[in-house]
Amino acid sequence: MAQQQSSVTYPTREAVDFVIVGSGAAGGVIAKELSVAGFSVVVLEQGPHLKANDFKHDEWSYDYNGGLIWGSKQGHPQTFRKAANQPTRPAEAALGYAHNVGGSSVHFSGNFWRFRPIDFKEASVRGSISGTNFADWPITYEELEPYYTKVDWEVGVSGLQGPWDPPRTRPYPCEPMPIKGSDVLLERAGKKLGLNPYPAPVAILSQPHNGRPACIHCGFCNGFGCEVNAKSSSMATMIPLALASGYCELRTGCTVSRVSTRDDGKADEVVYWNAEGEEHAQRAKAVVLCANGAETPRLLLLSASAQHPQGLGNSSGFVGQNLMFNGYTSVVGLFPEPVNAYKSIPATRVIHDYYELDKTLGFYGGGGIDGRHYARGTPLNSALMSGMFGGPKWGADYKRSLEQEFTHTAAFDGHTTSLPLATNTVTLDPTLKDKWGRPALRCTYMDHPDDLATMKFFFDKTNELMEAAGAIRQAGSYPENGQEGNVHLLGTCRMGNDPANSVVDKYHRSHDVPNLFICDGSSLVTSGRGQPTMTIMALAFRAADHMIQSARRGEI
Amino acid sequence: MTNAELNRRAFLRAGGDAMKASCIALSFPAVLTACGRARQAHLAGDDFTSLSADEAREYDAIATRIIPSDDTPGAREAGAVYFIDNVISDAFERQRQALRSGLADLQANTANLYGKAQFADLSPVQQDSLLTQSEGTEFFATIRFLVIAAMFSLPEYGGNKNKLGWQLIGFEDRHAWAQPYGFYDSDYLEKGE
Repeated sequence: MAQQQSSVTYPTREAVDFVIVGSGAAGGVIAKELSVAGFSVVVLEQGPHLKANDFKHDEWSYDYNGGLIWGSKQGHPQTFRKAANQPTRPAEAALGYAHNVGGSSVHFSGNFWRFRPIDFKEASVRGSISGTNFADWPITYEELEPYYTKVDWEVGVSGLQGPWDPPRTRPYPCEPMPIKGSDVLLERAGKKLGLNPYPAPVAILSQPHNGRPACIHCGFCNGFGCEVNAKSSSMATMIPLALASGYCELRTGCTVSRVSTRDDGKADEVVYWNAEGEEHAQRAKAVVLCANGAETPRLLLLSASAQHPQGLGNSSGFVGQNLMFNGYTSVVGLFPEPVNAYKSIPATRVIHDYYELDKTLGFYGGGGIDGRHYARGTPLNSALMSGMFGGPKWGADYKRSLEQEFTHTAAFDGHTTSLPLATNTVTLDPTLKDKWGRPALRCTYMDHPDDLATMKFFFDKTNELMEAAGAIRQAGSYPENGQEGNVHLLGTCRMGNDPANSVVDKYHRSHDVPNLFICDGSSLVTSGRGQPTMTIMALAFRAADHMIQSARRGEI
Repeated sequence: MTNAELNRRAFLRAGGDAMKASCIALSFPAVLTACGRARQAHLAGDDFTSLSADEAREYDAIATRIIPSDDTPGAREAGAVYFIDNVISDAFERQRQALRSGLADLQANTANLYGKAQFADLSPVQQDSLLTQSEGTEFFATIRFLVIAAMFSLPEYGGNKNKLGWQLIGFEDRHAWAQPYGFYDSDYLEKGE
């Protein structure tokens, strides 16, 4: 059914309408929208085009050998430091993302919460927070809602409208996924405590939709590519439509080095190395960056020129700033009967009663709680963590822990807010280089005290829930000394109305470079409550809509 | 709660710490070529690609203490040493050196304390005592990581023979599942919640 090859080849020396850097959650959506509308599109993707039949239940390759997330062995080293005055150390994928067509939408868990009206205007409602860049978005939930609905139906989402959910104009296209034992325990515990657990919205099909099959519950979602195309990645949903349009050329194995600008300051070509290592430059009328919240700011910083000395599109100095990860917490409980949380999708129930924490607590924050397997259901990771209730880490008693913990545990996880801070950044490492000779990604990150307090709150709540669930033993953790990496890469080229404190306008157009658009996790003004991909895809549909209208009016 | 408080520091990073403490994790090129060789080696008999027969005997003995064979099979029956052999054959020389010198240290302690040349020739109690002493070393962290990786990775990488590792933890590698997945969702469906 799905087209998997480009049916068009564009010459590099003639300007295509749009060149898109990155084919992930945002890039895949924008490539599909623009090409189906009849614009000529070239997509540059540094990774390979892996498809459903390339994926395996192979933890050793994916988690330990850079199968999807590249590291220093693949020539992509990174560094990390907690603050500018702290020591910098090499860090494997501190800013973690999948290197393949579809980006991280291929290997993500599929949790697909919409943001809510409050997320877009929280700074006004709560008041500003000194020392942070906490701000309202330039758009409202109501402006984004039609595009959330487009994602629901075009990309494919399973769920059921819950008691706290924001208003929607259409129901979910697919019914909720069947409940897992870990979420039965969460649901019963939540109800006992007077909370409102309800089916988790997920970008995984519970029933056939748009020509793709239903999930077969194999359990290898988070960290893996779906082997039957039931996970609604942009690879499975959008890229085939873009390729079938006849207007989209997908070039894989292409690593972009810079966006070049003309004397008038407009972008005119994207320079890249192809899979053979040869340098090419694709001319374009407009450039769209969808390279994720780490690689997009890096590319802008690498594209500094005489006209753009601080980096392309960076007159505000906000490129690379305000990096937000989302916080997380995890509590694991041991139960007398088999839970088998390793089967089926990561999470089937969510508790959103703590979406906005009471202001009287004295700190800002909020989040959601879901039930999971403690190590994504993967045997090797699970075994490495076994003995988690205080048992030894090798020997006969370790073996007894192994026999119990993989099958007889449930984890209750918290997913929480991060505040945007000028000091949390993606920058260019001054000394370390990647395999192309480009400065490596350097991450500087320390959670705000309110973010840590929020994690503590969720850690305590999930411990209470675990007790209410009847766990025999429980253990858990949250990063109380601050996170040192994440896969949510948000806020580093934020959208806003004021060019002094944002990078793109409300339509994702660069304030500085009129034919440069930026849309991915970097566009987010606030972090949401821990599941950003749905919002990234909705923003991409909306951004593409406005690009199409502008192009048709001759305004690009 | 007390238990949670005691364990939360250690808990979440456990997987990551196991890798970080190990000198070899995150550093294997071309693991897939290694698995091709693994099949050939098995077909040819007990040949090892990179380990000497003595080294293989020692690693097998260590693996057997990390996941012992008792009423159920352990790392020995799962062929952990074959996985280790494959991984070491693709490791950097620096990493191979670190392992060789770690093993040499363990054997030096074996000789000093028990007057034997090989760790494999000690009693299980003596072996456990020596391993307990080396718990904080990079060598122990690496071998522990490799034994566990051997036990729970896909069998084509050389270990987890007959899926013995997966059987131990109750993991069934099926391509498809349907409800009920376990006791609690079965109970939930039965009660019509």
